[in-house]
Amino acid sequence: MIRRVSLGSRLALLFAACTAAVSLGAGLLFNRASEQHFVELDQQLLDSRLSLFRTQLAGLAAVTELQARLPALRNELSHQADLALRISGSDGATWFESRSGLPPAPAAGLATLHTPGTDYRSLAVRLAQDSPQSPQLTLYLDITHHQHFLQGMQRLIWLTVGLSALATALLGAWAVRSGLRPLRQMGQVAASVSARSLTTRLPVAQMPEELAELATSMNAMLQRLDDAFQRLSAFSADIAHELRTPLSNLLTHTQVTLTRPRSLEEYREALHGNLEELQWMAQMINDMLFLAKADHGLLVPGQAPLALHEEVDALLEYYAPLAEDSDVQMLREGEALLQGDRHMLRRALSNLLDNALRFTPAGGQIRVTLEAGPKISVANTGGSIEAAALPRLFDRFYRVDPARREGSSEHAGLGLAITRSIVQAHGGSIRAECEGGWTRFVIGFPDSQ
Amino acid sequence: MKLLIVEDQARTGQYLSQGLSEAGFATELAADGETGQFLALSGDHDLLILDVMLPGRDGWQILQAVRQAGLDTPVLFLTARDAVQDRVHGLELGADDYLVKPFAFSELLARVRSLLRRGASPSQDTLLGLADLRLDLIRRRAERAGQRIDLTAKEFALLELLLRRQGEVLPKSLIASQVWDMNFDSDTNVIEVAIRRLRLKIDDPHPDKLIHTVRGMGYVLEERTE
Repeated sequence: MIRRVSLGSRLALLFAACTAAVSLGAGLLFNRASEQHFVELDQQLLDSRLSLFRTQLAGLAAVTELQARLPALRNELSHQADLALRISGSDGATWFESRSGLPPAPAAGLATLHTPGTDYRSLAVRLAQDSPQSPQLTLYLDITHHQHFLQGMQRLIWLTVGLSALATALLGAWAVRSGLRPLRQMGQVAASVSARSLTTRLPVAQMPEELAELATSMNAMLQRLDDAFQRLSAFSADIAHELRTPLSNLLTHTQVTLTRPRSLEEYREALHGNLEELQWMAQMINDMLFLAKADHGLLVPGQAPLALHEEVDALLEYYAPLAEDSDVQMLREGEALLQGDRHMLRRALSNLLDNALRFTPAGGQIRVTLEAGPKISVANTGGSIEAAALPRLFDRFYRVDPARREGSSEHAGLGLAITRSIVQAHGGSIRAECEGGWTRFVIGFPDSQ
Repeated sequence: MKLLIVEDQARTGQYLSQGLSEAGFATELAADGETGQFLALSGDHDLLILDVMLPGRDGWQILQAVRQAGLDTPVLFLTARDAVQDRVHGLELGADDYLVKPFAFSELLARVRSLLRRGASPSQDTLLGLADLRLDLIRRRAERAGQRIDLTAKEFALLELLLRRQGEVLPKSLIASQVWDMNFDSDTNVIEVAIRRLRLKIDDPHPDKLIHTVRGMGYVLEERTE
């Protein structure tokens, strides 16, 4: 529920709530301070009036003595329309009241009293301060207008709270909207990205600090997408190019064969020629499908415990006749264990051995070294590959010698790429080295222990 | 032996049908899933070759229907897609083998023969032979025209395979898989070299050659009278 409210509205509401709370606090404080101020003023007034009346009534002890002083008292009271006075005996009986309907007041000190229609502040003292028998004087001050003022102010406070909250909400919404503009800009860039516009980048320098990191990550993501897309495009172009040669051979050969009648033997020969081209193409397509699966993360190797030395020995046995034919010695050193997919690893190693056999001169040696780790190294004598070309050996269709391509029934140049895919699917890495007259491929797997 | 081919691509179906007929099988061809299933359920085929993607009902549905009807006819799937889950799905449903296009016809033929042979009880012969070539599996001995021939373990296994499947053209990939357990297409000429070495021992000293190369397809062991 809460999550659906937009960031803008949420921030605006929070701003409004904060403003309301602050202005409410300030208003209440002010209200209280002014009330306090009124109380102090009233007290001063009541104190000064009370001392006046005390002087007038000095010595009064019984209700009978009051009559003589009443005219002067009334005269005095008539100057102060908002004042009222009650005189009562020590027994509590009322001797005199300047106004009817005065509410009862506490026996001593200042108090605020409410009656319907009128509010009073009262101050009560004994006439003679030290004598408990002395009559009690209670002076009332009509403070209704003060209360009206305070009530008005309270209304004003509530109004201020409401209006300022509303205003902050509106201003806040506007501020948030303009503050979040970089985010919207990001959204627009993201929405505009397509295969054709992968070069679009967010202007990181213009981004606020909080968004710069996000923008940088997004740019990095775009960069990766762009790279992958470039590679894919290059790969597609390579495929088209690689298929073009055998296809053109097939077309030419077939058309030439059909231009005039030929002997049965010639037709058979033509079909065999075509068959070779076709087998080469089929092999290449199968290899490319394998690589495509690896690219999509669909290459899921099995996890069987393997003794790598046994696998290597089986492969060396497989290649032995070929090695003997080309007078190359093959040997294996060390042992290692690995969790992995037997068929895939055999294929990966087979490509390396095949490659090594291709480039080892007669009388040379191929040495497979296994180490715990596990680490596999396939080294062969001979071959001097430039350092710059070494990492490129694993690129699809890459050949050290460009003259080796085109039309030959040789490798399509995918073997080492397949090996790398298999190694990577097992979480490992592969690199090529060339030094001291040896060419060496080193595969490292993460320690499975 | 009667085979049913269910393949919607007219040319593919036609070529498969022709190739298998010429290899000595009776074939029936269906071009869509409905017809294919109807024919498959008749139960008078020894092997079904099903394309996965078919109009009407796909190959998997046909396989399911066939198995539900209680028929255990071997099924070989052909597919242009090679997703692992497809393969697993097919095998779970009871497919017996799986070939991904593009495949070589010789490979298909070899697989078809393997599947058809699977029903028959495996040969218990311990003594294999052709013409004057003899292979004693128990004593691990090979001889031709009464003369003992020394073979390495792999040469022996290769000769055994050729003898067991004499008369059949065996593609290189099948030989690599059966003899060396290398189950991937490798474009090296390892098999060529291995066959050449075997020939050196088996055929070269004798006028009648038994191992023949079928160009572009593979190798076959048979007696040929010129």
